[in-house]
Amino acid sequence: MSTQHSKKAAAFLKNQEYTAWHDATFWGVRVGRDNMAMGLEEWEQLRQKASEIKLHTLSHLDKYLEQFAGNAAKNGVKVHWAADADEFNSIVLDILTGSGVKKMVKSKSMLTEECGMNPYLEAHGIEVVETDLGERILQLKGQAPSHIVMPAIHLSHHDVGELFEQKGISEGKGNHDPTYLTYRARLSLRKEFLSAGAGMTGANFGIASTGEIVVCTNEGNADMSTSIPKLQISAIGLEKIIPDYDSLAVFQRMLCRSGTGQPTTSYTSFFRKARCADGEFHIILVDNGRTQWLQNPAHWELLKCIRCGSCMNTCPVYRRSGGYSYSYFIPGPIGINLGMLRSPEEHQGNLSACTLCGSCQCVCPVKIDLADQIYAWRQEWPAAGKKLICSVMNAVYKNEGIYRNFTGIAHLANILPAPWLPFYLRFPRKPFHSLAHDEL
Amino acid sequence: MSSKEEILGKCRTQQDYPMPRLDDIAAVKYPDPLTQFVAMSAAVGGKVVELQPGKDINHLLRSLFPEAVNIASNLPEISLANRNPDTVGSAAELDGTDLGVVRGEIGVAENGCIWVPQTMKERAVCFISENLVILLPKEAIVNNMHEAMKRIRVGDYGYGCFISGPSTTADIAQVLVMGAQAARSLTVVLLP
Ligand code: SF4
Repeated sequence: MSTQHSKKAAAFLKNQEYTAWHDATFWGVRVGRDNMAMGLEEWEQLRQKASEIKLHTLSHLDKYLEQFAGNAAKNGVKVHWAADADEFNSIVLDILTGSGVKKMVKSKSMLTEECGMNPYLEAHGIEVVETDLGERILQLKGQAPSHIVMPAIHLSHHDVGELFEQKGISEGKGNHDPTYLTYRARLSLRKEFLSAGAGMTGANFGIASTGEIVVCTNEGNADMSTSIPKLQISAIGLEKIIPDYDSLAVFQRMLCRSGTGQPTTSYTSFFRKARCADGEFHIILVDNGRTQWLQNPAHWELLKCIRCGSCMNTCPVYRRSGGYSYSYFIPGPIGINLGMLRSPEEHQGNLSACTLCGSCQCVCPVKIDLADQIYAWRQEWPAAGKKLICSVMNAVYKNEGIYRNFTGIAHLANILPAPWLPFYLRFPRKPFHSLAHDEL
Repeated sequence: MSSKEEILGKCRTQQDYPMPRLDDIAAVKYPDPLTQFVAMSAAVGGKVVELQPGKDINHLLRSLFPEAVNIASNLPEISLANRNPDTVGSAAELDGTDLGVVRGEIGVAENGCIWVPQTMKERAVCFISENLVILLPKEAIVNNMHEAMKRIRVGDYGYGCFISGPSTTADIAQVLVMGAQAARSLTVVLLP
């Protein structure tokens, strides 16, 4: 509920030194993004095109999905459709048990996080090994990502160094140098790649005209995960389908420039077929709420998101409160919005985590009006506090006698010490976030 | 009703946005794309060397990687190779490769990407090798990704990749480290 974000943010802010580092780190990434954007004269044109391609694709999604699935099938890929997280998880389990797989290596996928796939598979006796370094660190630590692109940003190199010592990944003690730790993780993950029976990827894009999955990574872990095992599974949210390579060029140019301030990811990989004649390639198209969101007249454009992360990097509230302050598993401006699509009852507390500064919508590469959307949510779903006020007000306005009494004492608000004021008189004078913090 | 029918049914919307033109994007072009490509390759942590006309590629590779023992390639001109990704029993046998040599088809000036379609049985050679060398014809440089995407072809193996620089990560405290899970160094050899 509403208290959650502001309370957790208050706890986050207690460590001033770390907060300053967190804030500065993300601001640095934002500056990197600006340098990239300013380095291309066509940047704003690209944003406009990217937005229009997404609007077009989403408004003809049935056609593009059929085209994608048809082409994938022609490539010999087994295409599955999952209505929700449960169906998705059981499809993955069926594929793995059908091939007798006991261990699966996987590259980063927020969709599998959304569906709770890892715990489900583990409960069924299948070991899942995350191979993105940040995700692997979190898996070993038993934590969730605090950012969609830089998942382990909340841990220092000492935290990771100690973790690797505990888990026997490092040799000896005391070497917490990031280069050394990365090397030790490389050696340990190499064994996993070589011994896994299946490799899984998420998808940055699905290309309708070819039926391919395109995955962008810096580590090359999606390629390592799928170049050694014979079985590949790729999970893709419905909204990730785009028409063709020409569209891909627009998004590929912006994804990494926006997200991390790099001109490109190190690897942009195109997966079309099973790796070998005796291999299998399964693509699972996942709905899990997306078709319902598509029908939401006020908020369907949130599906344009390509998960670059730049809205959280720039967000003054995210930078100073961290990913764990939000109740939804995706933080920042896009997470606030997606949480509301998922379950307003559960996630409306995140609505307080926005100053409406609008920085997010100025950087979003697909031009989602994130802050305007948050404003709209606030009107549609007055936070629990407001609802409480409304119910008090309703009672008051409905009873003339009580109403007169209240108006009669209203002037006291100016002279009474704050704690004596009736709750309803204090409310309108306070900013949204502090109401959430104190009152609820 | 299967999930497929149900999902497709629920996707139908009343909205109808047209597909925008993409051929009017005023994409960046460089007076000398090769110079830009070399600069970008360095910026993303790669190295570019030129093979001089008439010189032997094996000689050049040996001078660049004097200590490499296990060298994998299916390219006929790489006589140094002692592992062949076309004939190894399994991808895992390529583990421990010091140097992998593959062919690239297109270089992209704006970001240092090189299009490497799979042209060997085990594509693991592109990632599992400690050091990767991509041979790229000098004239195969295009300005930007729009131009590159018009030219790429994913071949019969059904896989291709734009590679730009070595495998990198900044997942530990945002410190950039080369050599995460795939190749720890990338050298582009420009062919005359
Ligand atoms: S909403 Fe826009 S800025 Fe935020 S992650 Fe998605 S694409 Fe990036």
